[in-house]
Amino acid sequence: MPEKKQSIRGVFINGIFNENPIFRLVLGVCPTLAATTSATNGLGMGLAATFVLLGSNIVISLLRNFIPDKVRIPAFIVVISTFVTIVQMLIQAFVPALYEALGLFIPLIVVNCIILARAEAFAARNPVFHAAADGLGMGMGFTAGLILIGSVRELLGNGTIFGTAVFGASFEPMLLAVMAPGGFIFFGLILGIINAIVNRIGSRKGVQA
Amino acid sequence: MSLRLSTGPHLLHKESTRTLMLDVIIALVPTTAAGIYLFGSKAAWVLAVAVASAVLCEYLFQKLTRRPVRVLDLSAVVTGLILGLNLPAEAPLWLPAIGSAVAVILVKELFGGIGHNFMNPALLARGILLASWPARMSVYFMPIRVLGATSAVPAGPDAVSSATALIRPQGYEVYDLLMGNIPGTIGEVCKIAILIGFLYMLFVGTIKWHIPVIFVGTVALFTWLIGGDPLKAVLSGGLLFGAVFMATDYVTNPMLRIGQVIFAIGCGLLVAVIRMNGAFPEGVTYAILIMNILTPLIDRLTSRRVYGTVKQHA
Amino acid sequence: MKFSFKGGIHPLKEMHEGKGASRHQPIRDLVPETVSIPMDMHIGAPSAPCVQKGDRVLLGQVIATPVGGIGIPVHASVSGEVTGIEVRQLLNKQPSTCINITNDKLDEWAPLHPLGGVETAPADRIIQQVKDAGICGMGGACFPTHIKMSPPADKPVDTVILNGAECETFLTADHQLLLEQPGLVVDGLRAIMRGMGVTRGIIAIEDNKMDAVKAVREAAQGREGVSVAVLRTKYPQGGEKQLIEAITKRQVPSGGLPCDVGVAVFNVGTAAAVAEAVSLGKPLISRVTTVTGAVNKPSNLRLRIGTSFQAAIDEAGGTSEEPGKVFAGGSMTGIAAPNTGVSVTKANNGVVVLGQKDAVTPEPTPCIRCGRCVSACPAKLNPQRLKELCDMGNLAGAKKEHVMECIICASCSYVCPAKLELSPTFKEAKEKITARRI
Repeated sequence: MPEKKQSIRGVFINGIFNENPIFRLVLGVCPTLAATTSATNGLGMGLAATFVLLGSNIVISLLRNFIPDKVRIPAFIVVISTFVTIVQMLIQAFVPALYEALGLFIPLIVVNCIILARAEAFAARNPVFHAAADGLGMGMGFTAGLILIGSVRELLGNGTIFGTAVFGASFEPMLLAVMAPGGFIFFGLILGIINAIVNRIGSRKGVQA
Repeated sequence: MSLRLSTGPHLLHKESTRTLMLDVIIALVPTTAAGIYLFGSKAAWVLAVAVASAVLCEYLFQKLTRRPVRVLDLSAVVTGLILGLNLPAEAPLWLPAIGSAVAVILVKELFGGIGHNFMNPALLARGILLASWPARMSVYFMPIRVLGATSAVPAGPDAVSSATALIRPQGYEVYDLLMGNIPGTIGEVCKIAILIGFLYMLFVGTIKWHIPVIFVGTVALFTWLIGGDPLKAVLSGGLLFGAVFMATDYVTNPMLRIGQVIFAIGCGLLVAVIRMNGAFPEGVTYAILIMNILTPLIDRLTSRRVYGTVKQHA
Repeated sequence: MKFSFKGGIHPLKEMHEGKGASRHQPIRDLVPETVSIPMDMHIGAPSAPCVQKGDRVLLGQVIATPVGGIGIPVHASVSGEVTGIEVRQLLNKQPSTCINITNDKLDEWAPLHPLGGVETAPADRIIQQVKDAGICGMGGACFPTHIKMSPPADKPVDTVILNGAECETFLTADHQLLLEQPGLVVDGLRAIMRGMGVTRGIIAIEDNKMDAVKAVREAAQGREGVSVAVLRTKYPQGGEKQLIEAITKRQVPSGGLPCDVGVAVFNVGTAAAVAEAVSLGKPLISRVTTVTGAVNKPSNLRLRIGTSFQAAIDEAGGTSEEPGKVFAGGSMTGIAAPNTGVSVTKANNGVVVLGQKDAVTPEPTPCIRCGRCVSACPAKLNPQRLKELCDMGNLAGAKKEHVMECIICASCSYVCPAKLELSPTFKEAKEKITARRI
């Protein structure tokens, strides 16, 4: 599926809206559930994943004509894990609090479906600038989704967004929102609402969304 | 003259979903009345908000999603009332409001409306409230009034107990456990009222005896086996309320009699196990919820011999 | 001891099964001005008319001859002139050829050929006599009686059951017949037993008709091998399979016939017709039918075959309110009539009129899994599951869940609080499965 006809800008926008990895592709659900206990965590995970996506998409696109087809997956993984290691060390060094909060889920970015999926489906078949735009777009889309879910969960479960109190002191947070079952429930609800909106827009335009 | 054409039956039983729900509401009247008497006007407010929120949420959701409005089948009233009876009387009013919204929208309507919820809406809502606001939900208050003559139990608005009667059932007389002169949620404390409701539902045929009796019997048997007092185990906590009004929810228990027996025994065993070893003092909510989830599986694995055939092994 | 089966319901319990109005109403004769006699009142190929327009026919004269292996003849139910042979709509079945006869009110009988008393008639000629009399199941099934009386040699029948359960709502015709002519019914049973060479005969009656039980018990005194069994009042106690289970504790195997378990079941009205055919030589020209519901004078009428519903309703005092629905049979399995011009057939045990209000079928709402259909099903099916499968179009799955064992008794539909159309769905599914050989 060569997407050469798409402009670089189109590829970028595509990742944020039409093919938003969380809400439209429903990829990377594991970090989505785990890293959205607060908006900050969501942002951190999103940026880390964006960095890895951008880097791995560029490198894999550059190497796409040299990697033998049979060993492409191991090759992709090597590239991806390199960037993951870099980002893990960077976070540990400069944002230790985030490193504490995300813990195991930073190294687990290696097996994040989005990254491997974009490497396989896009970067390995497209020129480098398109691949970079795709990585950036997908990363931004992922980050936006994580922040959205994280904000809702943090707001309800802690009464804050990015650590800033929103409600008065009498607010009693809903603990469930920041617990694991709350992750599933709120991810499901937000996904449902977005689907409903997209369907409505689609039916209004008269095209299949 | 135009005559209607249709296949039989040409006349149907008068019972409808609405009359069934109405019978459940009637069966809940003694419990509701006892709860309001024991806990005072605060309890009445909690119940009123729970019911109003459930009905309103169902109406708004069905309007918003352009589905047929089925508020008149009274199922939302039942859900709201049961949820309200599951709350402590001192609960702030936003608690029943949110709980009913969760029950009706999240558990019932989002899964397809009446008949399609995979768990008892009121129970799952209670579970969500319990996980979200444990401090509000797991504090049990003493009634402000005493039902009946006797009682050494102190009563008054300030009598607050942080523990359910379950932890120390020995501390209460059977009489007080029966009458409801113990700390607990609005609906669960007065066992006599629950039993009256149970008998009513049996009498009018809303439910059969199997699930409540086997459920409670299993708990009693298990308690007796491990050396507890089976009578007090049965009369404490939310066991009777859960067994009579929540485990018998049509939608979330098995269709066949054999499946219902398995369901009830499972509920009883889980309650006994959770009460003994669980982190929570009370296990009725989770026991029934877990068996709710297992219901489709039980339905799949049970069968009965169809007339004129040999028993099939599913 | 009262016999019964497991499952089942008690329909219209609060209104005495709808039978109160016509109960104990003495049987009255209705002699119609005209009759229109359908050719396919029985299961099997329609009979072939052997008279022509303008012919004068005598009462009891053969006007159509049997076609095919299980066909039976049709007789004139009045004497008079054949005014036409036309194709007419019968209830909600396919259109059928009907012979119209104008009654000359002379009731001039064709020559009759009695075999002799039921105890003395030659046993080997009884089955042929029954066939010649054009008798078929009068309880609603319309299966030719002589075929039922001739089971395959490898399936010997040891018990004959006369079905006087009359479990269907509204109907009191069999009840009244048992009260007024218990001797005739017992005679019929004896004739069937002798014709089939069976030594055990049981007349089964529900316990809401204890006066009939008493009358039949007295009539059966000293009759060889005949006994009376009291059944609990329950629907569908008179369903063939349920009746056999209740009385003999035997279950007809899946896809089988009563003779597979050594039983043959006949309606009490059929037995009375057999008795008349054997001892008097009379063919089946009339039957007792309950006309009730929204009529001014609910009655049990002896109607000539081919009488129009309208004539029967008029004889019952006319409708008491604007009719919304008219059906043949009881309210559970009765067949709705498109108009009141349709004819009374041999199997037609009731004509029930419902007013406009009762005729409205309530809107179905979602299933709430209350399990009432499961408790009600006399075949021990799971109607809730079957309905899901049928609605999804999964007929193979429905067949695997034994939808073919459904007897379309409509108990599930009756009790359903969600007012779902369960039994019509299963009827359709069964027809589709048969047609497509799934």
